[in-house]
Amino acid sequence: MIPASFPDRARIDARDKVLGVARFSADVPVTGVLYAMMVPARIAKGTLTGLDTAAALRVPGVVRVLTEADFPAPPPVIENGPPPPPPTLEREIAYRGQPVALVVAETLEAAIEGAAAVVCTYAAAPFAALIDSEGGVREMGEEIVFGDAEATLASAAVVVEGEFLSPTQHHNPIELLATTAVWEAGRLTLHEATQGAGGTRGMTARALGIDPGVVDVKSPYVGGGFGQKGGLGQRQTALIAHASMLLGRPVKLVTPRGQIFHLATYRPLSRHRIRLGATAEGRMVAMQYDAEQEQSRHGIFPSAEYHETTSRMYGIANYLGTSADVRIDRQPPGWMRAPHPQASGFAMESMVDELAYRLGQDPVALRLANTGDVDFRTGQPFSSNHLNACLEEGARRFGWSSRTAEPGSMTADDGSLVGWGVACGSYPSMMVPAVATLRIGADGSTRYAASGHEMGQGIRTAIASVLLESLEIDPERLEILIGDTTAAPQHITAGSWGSAGAVPVAMRAAARMREAVAELLDGREIAGNLHRRLATVRRPFLEIEVSEVGPGQGQDVLQALQYGAPAVAGPAYPTFTTMSYIAHFVEVRVEPTTRRVRVPRVVSIVDCGRVISPRTAESQVRGGVVWAIGAALREATEVDPRYGGYLNNDLADYVVAVNADIGAIDVGFIDQPDPLANSAGLKGLGEVAMVGASPAIANAIFHATGRRLHELPIRIEHLL
Amino acid sequence: MTDDHSVDDRVPPRNGLDLSRRDTLKGGAVVAAAALTGAAPGPAAAATDVAPLPSAPRHGLRLQTTVNGTAVSVDIDTRTSLLDLLRERLALTGAKKGCDHGQCGACTVHVDGRRVASCLTLAAKLEGREVLTIEGLSEPGTLHPMQQAFIDHDALQCGYCTPGQIMAAVACVAEGNATSPERIREYMSGNICRCGAYVGIVAAIEDAAATMGRG
Repeated sequence: MIPASFPDRARIDARDKVLGVARFSADVPVTGVLYAMMVPARIAKGTLTGLDTAAALRVPGVVRVLTEADFPAPPPVIENGPPPPPPTLEREIAYRGQPVALVVAETLEAAIEGAAAVVCTYAAAPFAALIDSEGGVREMGEEIVFGDAEATLASAAVVVEGEFLSPTQHHNPIELLATTAVWEAGRLTLHEATQGAGGTRGMTARALGIDPGVVDVKSPYVGGGFGQKGGLGQRQTALIAHASMLLGRPVKLVTPRGQIFHLATYRPLSRHRIRLGATAEGRMVAMQYDAEQEQSRHGIFPSAEYHETTSRMYGIANYLGTSADVRIDRQPPGWMRAPHPQASGFAMESMVDELAYRLGQDPVALRLANTGDVDFRTGQPFSSNHLNACLEEGARRFGWSSRTAEPGSMTADDGSLVGWGVACGSYPSMMVPAVATLRIGADGSTRYAASGHEMGQGIRTAIASVLLESLEIDPERLEILIGDTTAAPQHITAGSWGSAGAVPVAMRAAARMREAVAELLDGREIAGNLHRRLATVRRPFLEIEVSEVGPGQGQDVLQALQYGAPAVAGPAYPTFTTMSYIAHFVEVRVEPTTRRVRVPRVVSIVDCGRVISPRTAESQVRGGVVWAIGAALREATEVDPRYGGYLNNDLADYVVAVNADIGAIDVGFIDQPDPLANSAGLKGLGEVAMVGASPAIANAIFHATGRRLHELPIRIEHLL
Repeated sequence: MTDDHSVDDRVPPRNGLDLSRRDTLKGGAVVAAAALTGAAPGPAAAATDVAPLPSAPRHGLRLQTTVNGTAVSVDIDTRTSLLDLLRERLALTGAKKGCDHGQCGACTVHVDGRRVASCLTLAAKLEGREVLTIEGLSEPGTLHPMQQAFIDHDALQCGYCTPGQIMAAVACVAEGNATSPERIREYMSGNICRCGAYVGIVAAIEDAAATMGRG
């Protein structure tokens, strides 16, 4: 019962958001709340030898200063078990900015003053802050090998090669990390901005040695996630929870952005060496690709995943991929929007562009001739691949046929150099288990509870779209409960699997509800919507529960879901591989004397299977392109090699794209359902939207200037 | 902890909203917050509480100002920003904290009709002035043309920067800076949208500017 296409529908929570009444975690009203502020370590590595709280405790309003002595020992490490929760407070300092104390006060001003008054002494140790610093430890990751890349490269007609660099970058959602803990009548309620309420519950309980059954986590609105608010959990959560339990009062922390730079995960700096071989006709036949990234001493962000998309995009039959971590003294890196393909895609798509120029071929035509239906990495077919349709539609909309290939050959009336560039992206389409309950009342209400977190991608709107398309219910009284462990088990929402985890189960719930209504009415024809029909037969409500798992997953994954553990299927499912695809076409204008780069227009065409919520999907793609513009031209976190930590740890110095940086972004969808990936025929969207757009900009800059830049971000000084 | 009520006791209640420490402790602030947000006192309003100042700050100050058309009298710590006053004392959480440095615009409100970064504005500077927040932009149950335009053009994603964007956008039109897409982009660049809804924001402002009769 999937409609041929879903209608345009306004974002379901837009009204609350424009009125300012959507409640984010720091907005939740709590009576008698205390304010917390963390004290960050001022050294990059070493030991905390003294902590003098006397002055802090003299600040009027300061209630308590928590130190390492107030916290339980870390839980034992479980062999092959889930990753440990973030540490609480410790005397051993692993990175600059690690919290060493927590000041709790009656007012925010007192907490800030108190935190500044804590005096710490340290025994500093030598440390490595950068990937090339002395003391970094290199550790190889899993190799991705198929075919015989070395031999094929040796005999290939054309080989292009290059080394590329992607910088350290921070997510910087505008919502700060925020935790409010309420310990009341033996239950701990955490209002926290998280992409994984279930994981936050489990990690907090483990860190504090308490029963997860007494912990509730609520995260109904997330003010931007992009990976920062998922994955490894936040270090502050257990601190605030513990403070609330010790003090018997609610405690709230809104972490300053400067501290977040040092505490939250980030996109690690990475380097990419590629050799790409092709036949004289332009068939890509072999690739050797060595990736390495900066990594914390105990971090788990996997290096091998740089190969996830590069090994699959162009039907290359011979592939040799290595990867390495360089372990240094920083906080753990993590998943930031389009985690690996942002960097690996920049490297690969720059090489493909160079290959096109070397062969004298059009970069669109070269790509069209190299896409395929087989995932050579597994030998399986792709469940769907409409990348060529994306390229063709994008070229048409952009007007690509009027491009002249010669770099520097196109200029605007004002003398600006014009560059037109293209690049493609792909991203694994994964799926996660879900449990949903749907209750329709005779009183006109509908309550739907399931796993998922709304961080702006429009997951709540997609769920509403499904329910309102398939059930005759009152849209005004449809309540969708997500991001709430008291409503349904919560899987982490990340990796572009949000829709796959939310929509098929919503469709199943709607279908089950229709069956239940039919059973109840038993052939009676009753006019009106479902509420009216229930009222007519004097049934107060109907409630059903359904579950959904990914292809190849057993019912046991529902158990993992209950514990808040990740249970992700794909992109290599038992008999097929599923990837989402995108083609980006970019125009840049390079001002001839200042070399200022502008991006007046972008065309992005996406194959994400069936589109469930067209309006929010379009916005999500535009957002991905905006991210790619920021990443290509602006964003880099500057690490201080002298003291550790980050130099540009605010939004004035870490420069993200602003309104004046963004021109027209035309988005189109192929909107063909994937026949195998899930019952809804959808594929992931949030990450693929960004993948390839940064290299499309770099390729456009090459076309404008003849300069092939191998390092992001590309700034004026690189073009002078 | 000290608990000095002397300042409260000397200041007689005024006709408008009086948010002395004593009153907030009595629960008067619950009604006060409901009045400011325009919501009828009910279960939701009753759950809202304004954090009272628990101890006399060393540099305390009685502030008398107007917020969303309602007179407010409140004891503040002189270090308190307008943003923290709104969010932590007056239960007006529409304005958001995104940087606390005046760099992101999520906290944008109007003071005497001009847009300001409330995180960079000391509450003490609001004496005798008029503050307008997103909660006071439209009459209860209605939408300002800019709010409607933001919905129509999907000029938001996560919604966190949205109240600040809308307050800035309304000011942008009133200033006469919404005369072209280029000008809108320039004059809206103090408000960061990390989700990247800029295309929709520009379209929404062009649309609303026409309705609002300026620009």
